[in-house]
Amino acid sequence: MNRFGLFRIRNAGFAIPLAQILRILEGAEEYQLPRLPGAVSAVLVDEGRLIPLIDLGGALGVGTDCPIGCGYQVLVESEHGVIALAADSSGRIVAEKKGQILPLPPKEQVIGVVGRFSYLDDVYNILNIDFLAIEMTQAYWQNQSDTGGARRHQ
Amino acid sequence: MAEAGQRVLVFRLGKIAFMLDLAQIVEIVEQTADILDPGRSDISRGIVSALQFRQTWVPVVDPALKLDIFSPVALKDKVAIILRSSEGNWALLVDGVSELQLAENFQPCEIPFLLQVSASGFYSEVRLLKGKPVVVFEPESYYGSAPVVA
Repeated sequence: MNRFGLFRIRNAGFAIPLAQILRILEGAEEYQLPRLPGAVSAVLVDEGRLIPLIDLGGALGVGTDCPIGCGYQVLVESEHGVIALAADSSGRIVAEKKGQILPLPPKEQVIGVVGRFSYLDDVYNILNIDFLAIEMTQAYWQNQSDTGGARRHQ
Repeated sequence: MAEAGQRVLVFRLGKIAFMLDLAQIVEIVEQTADILDPGRSDISRGIVSALQFRQTWVPVVDPALKLDIFSPVALKDKVAIILRSSEGNWALLVDGVSELQLAENFQPCEIPFLLQVSASGFYSEVRLLKGKPVVVFEPESYYGSAPVVA
């Protein structure tokens, strides 16, 4: 049975296959490092490891300027290592069959989003974590790093 | 760096902690306002000012510029760490000096694969002190060639 972890960031919902979620932290301390890629807002320290904390707001089209509400961090396993995703709400675990998988309309293609999951009255973007991890640290978002330091401290 | 018994200095740039082998340090100058001359800069070499130290002028490097770190501390309020190099003494401007520590108090910590590209050319090692990340500062990336250790 496939299950999703459902989360929200700045009013945009996202869904992650439960098998990829390691755990959810609340209010974990965030640290800066020099020259973090633009989409990486900080790093966490978890069990002696550094974990890049990714702010999905830009990728999901809800911006990265507003502070994140409740300060949850979802630790997710990707092919390229563990990443943390910032979230406003602690999320819920829902079986795929409790909702409905929707394809992305051709005009609404979003980077790293492979479909939508409709549950109750909300729609969540289903994330391709492996793709997002690379894309948001190495590709387009990587190029935002020149202003990242200053922006993060505003 | 970081052999048993070695001592390191922990300093801050913005919100980021760095560590530096104490053997590379000549002196720490906390009051710099009256001994800095920004007119003697050479920005193409990353030198933002000159600092009068022991009757001579030494080049001053602000690593926050290269590292893209926002520093809330004004130039005149910064602390200068005087370092020795094969080209003579030079000064590193930092926001503040935090503490001295034994090198063995730091735990090794890998830079995640996903951050290695962005770190490349700026730092290559991070360690943990009391569970918090501290970047190993590499002076040779900023001025001179190989550091001269006393």
